[in-house]
Amino acid sequence: MRQLLTVTGALLRTLVRNRQALFWTFFFPVMLMVVFGFLGNSNFKLNLLVSAPTQGPETKIVQAYEKIPYFKVQRASRQRAIHQVRIGQADAVLLLPPATTPPPWHATLVYNSANMQTAQQAVSAVTSAAAQINLAMTGQSPMLMVQPKAASGSRSSTYLDFLLPGVLALMAMQNSLFGVAGSLTRWKEKGVLRRFLATPLRPIQFLGGVVLYQLVFGILSAALIVAIAVVFLHATVVLPLLPLLVTVILGMAAFLAIGFVIAGFAKTEEASMPIINVVSFPMMFLSGVFFPVTTLPPFLRTIVHYLPLTYIVDGVRGLMSGQYAAWAPAVQGDIVALLVWFVLLAIVSTRTWRWE
Amino acid sequence: MRAVDGVDLEIEPGRIFGLLGPNGAGKTTTLEMIEGLRRPDQGHITYGDHDLVRQPGVARERFGVQLQTSSFFELLRVDETIDLFASFYRHTLATDTLIERFELGEKRKAYVQTLSGGQRQRLAVAVALVNDPEVVFLDEPTAGLDPQARRNVWDSVRQLREEGRTVVLTTHYMDEAEALCDQLAVMDHGRVLDEGQPKELIERHMPAAFIEVSAEVPVGEDVELPGLQRVTREGPKTVLRTERLDETLGALAEWARAAGVPLTGLATRTATLEDVFLHLTGRSLRD
Repeated sequence: MRQLLTVTGALLRTLVRNRQALFWTFFFPVMLMVVFGFLGNSNFKLNLLVSAPTQGPETKIVQAYEKIPYFKVQRASRQRAIHQVRIGQADAVLLLPPATTPPPWHATLVYNSANMQTAQQAVSAVTSAAAQINLAMTGQSPMLMVQPKAASGSRSSTYLDFLLPGVLALMAMQNSLFGVAGSLTRWKEKGVLRRFLATPLRPIQFLGGVVLYQLVFGILSAALIVAIAVVFLHATVVLPLLPLLVTVILGMAAFLAIGFVIAGFAKTEEASMPIINVVSFPMMFLSGVFFPVTTLPPFLRTIVHYLPLTYIVDGVRGLMSGQYAAWAPAVQGDIVALLVWFVLLAIVSTRTWRWE
Repeated sequence: MRAVDGVDLEIEPGRIFGLLGPNGAGKTTTLEMIEGLRRPDQGHITYGDHDLVRQPGVARERFGVQLQTSSFFELLRVDETIDLFASFYRHTLATDTLIERFELGEKRKAYVQTLSGGQRQRLAVAVALVNDPEVVFLDEPTAGLDPQARRNVWDSVRQLREEGRTVVLTTHYMDEAEALCDQLAVMDHGRVLDEGQPKELIERHMPAAFIEVSAEVPVGEDVELPGLQRVTREGPKTVLRTERLDETLGALAEWARAAGVPLTGLATRTATLEDVFLHLTGRSLRD
């Protein structure tokens, strides 16, 4: 054990001195959170063009729309407005014909169907605003008022709150893969490993030292990222420490095992990089780091469900959002799945591992 | 493919033993089997009363090893590197002593990645000594070093012998083997071709001397030279191999005077290990 710890200590020391590697380890996750955090939080306004006569009762309707903060209303001629919507410069145009007859007046809402999400928002926002305006202008008192309210215990969450657990899972994967597959193939290639083998240090002690080092580094960097997200980016998350640690450590263990498998195959560090990318890229984009797995087509969802990163993302996000209680069945399921992945991969790695 | 085949060596304690051979001769593989890094398919390796094939741990505990490509963690300091390796052994030499002995004092706090080739080599030898070993294995200890650094390594190797340690080294430099080794084994294609002291090897295989002349000597046509064994031409030079240097030289001088050929660039030399190797393997070492 003492020898194992000296190896871990030496590796941690070299890590702290590798400023460049450290920078990139944290730069990428922080960048992700800053950029996507802003995107998620920006105050969305719908660009609404209105084509209506400048006199008469129509002006009141236009003013009513202008008062609603959700809309950014601009007047334009009918032709120009439709053109703007068609080329995507505006989200929708409300065409109000001159009110030559008594109400109801029929307005037309033209939207661009290329962006379904904006289109839906435009349609529902403009029509529900129309209902309010109707009431206001006719002076009737409403019969039903709906007040939206979040269920007690559930928390309002921003995209950053959604992204942070994904970023932690992503780091667990990337650090473990690159740390083991990258460094071990490099040490193998440069003869560092052989030199250790020529001492009384047992191979298992050396590898144990490497694994412990990776776990310590992984936990510390995850803690730092959470701190940055909470303190500087105002993420709001819950932190049930023990289940989180268990999930993250098992996740790292699974990816460390994948790293050992890769390091067993690859003869050089250069050769290991493309393999790492082939393994990590699909999971990075499919396993729910950036968007929920439920948005994937069903057949893909079935496959993605069983990937190790998906389990980490699910467990960590469930715990940090408060959706899963500390040792909820869903968390246990993720933990067991990660354990199975780890054991299988560890067995494979003992068969593929080569010291040279 | 057999990298090493039927090698039978006896290494005497307290001597410098050299394995000489070209790249790929099986020198490194032989060392690695003795060091406990590689298991032989068959055969015995014994050290005192220990069977090293069965107990490779004895080798790893008691031997000091400098590998052909010894690298350490690039971002560890020199003293930290020595300390790290010291932590693996029960009995060790003091880090300060090793740093002083291998003139690494100035670089003590430097990262390994900033060391020059010679400094890296000295660190590798220092680390090989960290467990105060009875036997030190040095694989190509001077490969890629400049002449000054090579001399330094030679001095440290001799010092190891003076301390009573046994040194086993590999080299493909003839001059190194000749200058440094008490005992030599010449290897090629995984086999030991011959072994003995450098002088013995030369006398056994090459009891001859060489005369080099920068002129064309029509041997066999106009000139009869006593003791002559072989004539070769190397560019503008004629190389005469002889077993009786004085007689051949005398006859050559007489012929030159009579024929009016100036003997410019005349040189004689005795045989070297290079010649022994050429004789044993039929090829030059640097091929």
